[in-house]
Amino acid sequence: MRAEFFLLPAAALVIAGPVRAEVFLTVEQAQSLMFPGASFAKDFRTLSDAQAAAIEEASGANVRSRTLQAWRVSTGGWFIVDEVVGKHDFIPFALGLNADGSVKAVEILEYREAYGGEVRNPKWLAQFTGKKNGARLQLTDDIQNISGATLSSKHITDGVRRLLATYAAILANR
Amino acid sequence: MRYFKLLGFSAVAGLLLAAQTARADEPVFGFVYTTDLLPKNQIEAEQWLTWKTEKAHGSFNLLEGRNEFSYGVSDNFQLSAIAIYDWTEARQNAVDGTTTPPEPFSAYFPAPNSRFNATQLIGVSLEGIYRVLSPYTDPVGFAVYFEPTFGNRFMEYETRAILQKNYFDDRLILAANFTWAPEIRFLPPDPYADPGSVESTRNTNIETDVNVGLAASYRFAPNWSAGWEFQNEREINGWAILARSQWMGNAYYTGPTIHYGGEHFFVTLTALEQLPWSNNYMGEPVILNGRDYDVDFEKVRVRLKLGWYF
Repeated sequence: MRAEFFLLPAAALVIAGPVRAEVFLTVEQAQSLMFPGASFAKDFRTLSDAQAAAIEEASGANVRSRTLQAWRVSTGGWFIVDEVVGKHDFIPFALGLNADGSVKAVEILEYREAYGGEVRNPKWLAQFTGKKNGARLQLTDDIQNISGATLSSKHITDGVRRLLATYAAILANR
Repeated sequence: MRYFKLLGFSAVAGLLLAAQTARADEPVFGFVYTTDLLPKNQIEAEQWLTWKTEKAHGSFNLLEGRNEFSYGVSDNFQLSAIAIYDWTEARQNAVDGTTTPPEPFSAYFPAPNSRFNATQLIGVSLEGIYRVLSPYTDPVGFAVYFEPTFGNRFMEYETRAILQKNYFDDRLILAANFTWAPEIRFLPPDPYADPGSVESTRNTNIETDVNVGLAASYRFAPNWSAGWEFQNEREINGWAILARSQWMGNAYYTGPTIHYGGEHFFVTLTALEQLPWSNNYMGEPVILNGRDYDVDFEKVRVRLKLGWYF
């Protein structure tokens, strides 16, 4: 058998290293960035089957995890950490909500994907600012698609819409 | 020999110069294509190795190598430059017990009981894929594919329609391919053919492959997907795919596929086995135990795809 056929695969195995995740913000850094000077009271919840079903019904997005990682903000509003499905791995992100439930900010905490990192672009993320539960928040319609990063931008859009529905169902008026 | 070294070393040099920013179009399947393409201005290198083995009798191995460099012309159009090179060995492998080289080596005519061993640059090709609909923003993904190949005594034009539908947050991928691929071979006289037959003189062989591929893959863990593929391959004499009198062989393959996709690298491994459902419509003696062992069919195919993002 010809040795040349194995040259490239062998080289690939030597060169290919472990996947290295790029952490942009820790949870604490995202909290300080979104709510400067505020303190945060951890208020994690576990969604019941009925609550998850109601959120899916309201948002049209799949509730993959039953754990709601939320912090009540001392200056008013909520800080939520969640993740959505990326091409290879999950994309952790943070959502800051004003006291009236509108989006204050969205930040990507970590990105492990081969491409689509443009979703960190502040101008793209700013499209969510001010949106409330009930806004359509559909990619290519209300939220501009990022060409070449369609999967990531679609899933983040779906994730924000789902968290706004989660806020309305679980956190509002608490 | 020299071109194998050149191809190998140029690709390795490219790998060593690979940039840190990763971009990808990523095949989760070995034999079935999806509509996922490289983003605009991104470059990727792929190395395929396909091992085909087990004929009716004797010994048979075919190793097909494929070097591919792809470029995203736009977010919906990808072009690739490809080099294809094969190695094979065969001995008394046909249903009638004679030594019969595989289709890429059709211009070779070994003695019926000899051991055949050859290496050859099969051809170079240009592959283009244009995505019409995206599975992420449209109800179904749809793309068209073309790949002309030019080689020594050989030309092929492969066209393909690609359909993709995703479920469960795009973790479940379903894909279907419909392929039409006419090929022309300019063959020298076969010294072992019956005197007076077409094969005993210099001749042109035209054949059309019509294939249907179906596949499903699920991302069961971060970076890892696993699935299943199914292929139906039909060989037609000449161009007339609807003329039943010209149908030659018909074979079915199926098997598992596994894929790892990382930030700078991916690997896909697929193993298919021919199902005992084959037909040879022309009555040629190439079927044994329900499997077709004509020059372009074998019992087992294993494909390894490696990719690097530049």
